[in-house]
Amino acid sequence: MSEAEAIDRAKNGDAEAFEGLYGLHKRRVYSLCLRMVGNTPEAEDLTQEAFLQLYRKISTFRGESAFSTWLHRLAVNVVLMHLRKKTLPEISLDEMLEPQQEDAPKKDIGVPDNALTGAIDRVNLERAIGDLPPGYRIIFVLHDVEGYEHNEIAEMMGCSIGNSKSQLHKARMKLREHLKISRAERPAGR
Amino acid sequence: MNCQEFLEVLPHVIDEGGNTEAETHAASCSSCGEMVNDLRHIAEQAPLLLPMHDPNPHVWSSIQQSLISEGLIRGGRTPRPAGVIAVPQRPPAWTRMGSMMAAAAVLLLAAVLFNYRPKPGVSSASAAQSPDEQLISQVSSKNPSVGKAYEESLKQVNSYIADAEKAVKSDSNDSVANEQLMDAYQQKAMLYEMATARSQE
Repeated sequence: MSEAEAIDRAKNGDAEAFEGLYGLHKRRVYSLCLRMVGNTPEAEDLTQEAFLQLYRKISTFRGESAFSTWLHRLAVNVVLMHLRKKTLPEISLDEMLEPQQEDAPKKDIGVPDNALTGAIDRVNLERAIGDLPPGYRIIFVLHDVEGYEHNEIAEMMGCSIGNSKSQLHKARMKLREHLKISRAERPAGR
Repeated sequence: MNCQEFLEVLPHVIDEGGNTEAETHAASCSSCGEMVNDLRHIAEQAPLLLPMHDPNPHVWSSIQQSLISEGLIRGGRTPRPAGVIAVPQRPPAWTRMGSMMAAAAVLLLAAVLFNYRPKPGVSSASAAQSPDEQLISQVSSKNPSVGKAYEESLKQVNSYIADAEKAVKSDSNDSVANEQLMDAYQQKAMLYEMATARSQE
């Protein structure tokens, strides 16, 4: 069954087509949720919610964009909605995006250190992303991992483009700090 | 341009390339130059991260139960107990292929485990350990926090394998369950390969 056929059949409530679409897209959706929230139980709940919303809304899919793009955007919105609910109502999203002072990257002006290039492997980078404060992690995952533009992120997050750019830079600086610490903790000679 | 001024234009330098003044500073200041290289490297590596994690099979079971209770799917399909993968009716060709793929995945994992050898010098106590425990010990001896990450990942993938095996056992012709089992074995094989490469660094 092709994806297009599965979409058409799912619109008519075909159970097998639903399952086929889940099989095709579960890994990407789950990985996105896991990277954005940083823990397995929440990521599983959000994956479930994203697919349920997909099935509830699939009749509105008109094919203006690729199905995977549409589903991906839907999943991002599910995660962002979840994160909004988790924060206190009186705190704006901009404030949620601004981590505490101790979480902010250090400004190590003029301090010589060794380059990270070549020292980053996937496990280390994944772990460092998981260690980022939530606000930084969301922007970094959306922009650098998932490839969203700042204007798209600003629209989804309800923040300014400048804020998105600023948070991305701080996220990368924080990641650099994490990766340097992680490398320093490795035994000598590696 | 000094380092403080350079830091102010650094985001622009990383994403869009800096002006001549910024480039000159980065070329002449080793600290700022390395910072630019590192940040560019991080930005280049991030899109290469693969969506390598699969959700536990119980996620689909929960979705299926919700779909049935909301009346979003029709037909006489009934929800399965939690933890058991749903079984779609698939053409026989898919079933055969699923079984063959699962068999190939089992062989792949077996080959990885067969070729995996703990490094010389590991204590004799480790001989009583399972391959997973030996792998975690070896990675932890280099870096405990990385060992913990592998331990958690192995725990997840083993739980996934157990769920998928249960589903395959209940219906060996279930192509989806076979594919999920194959995915699980592949993820475990990938973990072993990554850990072995790391411990040989």
